[in-house]
Amino acid sequence: MPLVSTRRLHKFFGRNHVLRGIKLDVEESEVIAIVGRSGSGKSTLLRTLNGLENIDDGTIEVDGTVLQVDHDDPGALRALRQKVGMVFQQFNLFPHLSTGQNVTLAPRVVKRTPREEAEDIARRMLERVGLGEKFDAFPDQLSGGQQQRVAIARALAMSPKVLLCDEITSALDPELVNEVLSVVRQLADEGMTLIMVTHEMRFAREVSDRLVFMHEGRIHESGSPQEMFSNPTTPEFASFIGSLN
Amino acid sequence: MPSCRQTFDPRAALVRPACAAGRRARFVVMAYQFDFTFVPDYAGMLAQGVVYTLGLTVVGGTLGILIGIGGALSRTWDTRPFGELFRYYVELFRNTPFLVQLFLIFFGLPSLGIKLAGWQAAILAMVLNLGAYSTEIIRAGLQATPRGQIEAADSLALTRWQIFLHVMLRPALRKVWPALSSQVVITMLGSSVCSQIAAEELTFVANFIQSRNFRAFETYFLTTALYFALALLVRQAMHLVGRYLIVRRPSP
Repeated sequence: MPLVSTRRLHKFFGRNHVLRGIKLDVEESEVIAIVGRSGSGKSTLLRTLNGLENIDDGTIEVDGTVLQVDHDDPGALRALRQKVGMVFQQFNLFPHLSTGQNVTLAPRVVKRTPREEAEDIARRMLERVGLGEKFDAFPDQLSGGQQQRVAIARALAMSPKVLLCDEITSALDPELVNEVLSVVRQLADEGMTLIMVTHEMRFAREVSDRLVFMHEGRIHESGSPQEMFSNPTTPEFASFIGSLN
Repeated sequence: MPSCRQTFDPRAALVRPACAAGRRARFVVMAYQFDFTFVPDYAGMLAQGVVYTLGLTVVGGTLGILIGIGGALSRTWDTRPFGELFRYYVELFRNTPFLVQLFLIFFGLPSLGIKLAGWQAAILAMVLNLGAYSTEIIRAGLQATPRGQIEAADSLALTRWQIFLHVMLRPALRKVWPALSSQVVITMLGSSVCSQIAAEELTFVANFIQSRNFRAFETYFLTTALYFALALLVRQAMHLVGRYLIVRRPSP
């Protein structure tokens, strides 16, 4: 049984039909890269998976928790969010909290983890992203790449079943991209289930188990990245990868 | 020397008609002799007035800001029925004079069987007045929370209340703290009208002394200086409170 599963997902922004029936199954430990032109609905799809965008039709199920169309059960929504971590393009760290406090906040207030234990977890997660010594630093004292790694540690501290990454290197200076990507690569190697929207085609090709190409609100083509890049089956995907070079 | 004699009135001492009726009035600006010899006699009273005013400010400021936080929260999330209630409250208190609010509480409420002592009415009026203004000030700070931070907190499964408490409140207060400090100072200065309901704050004491010694200029000169010093003190205190409560960051 897949860890994440969506059926006939529909989403409108006003009259704009952004998602037109998405069926997506993600197995445990699978790494999915969602690519496509801007406006194809890839970020929206990612944001529906933890309820940041509500959906107009269809079902989302993550590890047995089902998300309703109108989010009328805040308890279920939060239960789902505890299983789905998310990392954003703009890092979105809490500027008034130190790195350590950023990472311990959710375990402490959501899971009621005692302070010492939460700090232990936080230190381990910060070690994991290579920032063990930055526990007491504040976000504005860190580089963009470091902030994004803290954001990853913050999401990991809730031990999510799946991690969503929404263009997490797009706001970074080019020389900082790799330090973030290598953390993601390491997570993938450790068996973390990852769903990422990315513009880093080479990275998507190297790391992902499955590439999903979105076009006009639908999953237009998907499959193994090697296969897809060497043998695109749809003209849209062929033109998309053609436009990258 | 003026040709016609007049009884001494200190209030007319600076500029006074040099002559009696019948002639064209001539105004002579006179050199004024300050006389502060009364101060030692009234020092205790003035000190009490200062403490009273400070007390009104501390209690009014603290409770007023707490109401402001609650009001801003209700208005930001439009929690029923509080969001709507706070909207009317804020409009009512921001669009009427403080003195009238004070009279309404002190002279009006007894008709409903609520009798308040002068100090109680003064505190209530100050709390309600500051509460209304700080609701709007703090609301502006809450609304300036970047959307991404709320989304990040949402994605970490925090409840709305937890997001307010842990993510929104402190940065919001930090942003508006200077405006809030000014409002507290304005409210403290406004507390001088509480003398009108016999709350024994600084202005009340000044009025009393002036009615005894007829040295209006000196008395209000001194009172002005005291208010000025108090305002600086309150501003500084707000600055320290802000630094301790809101920024609280270890040195790097």
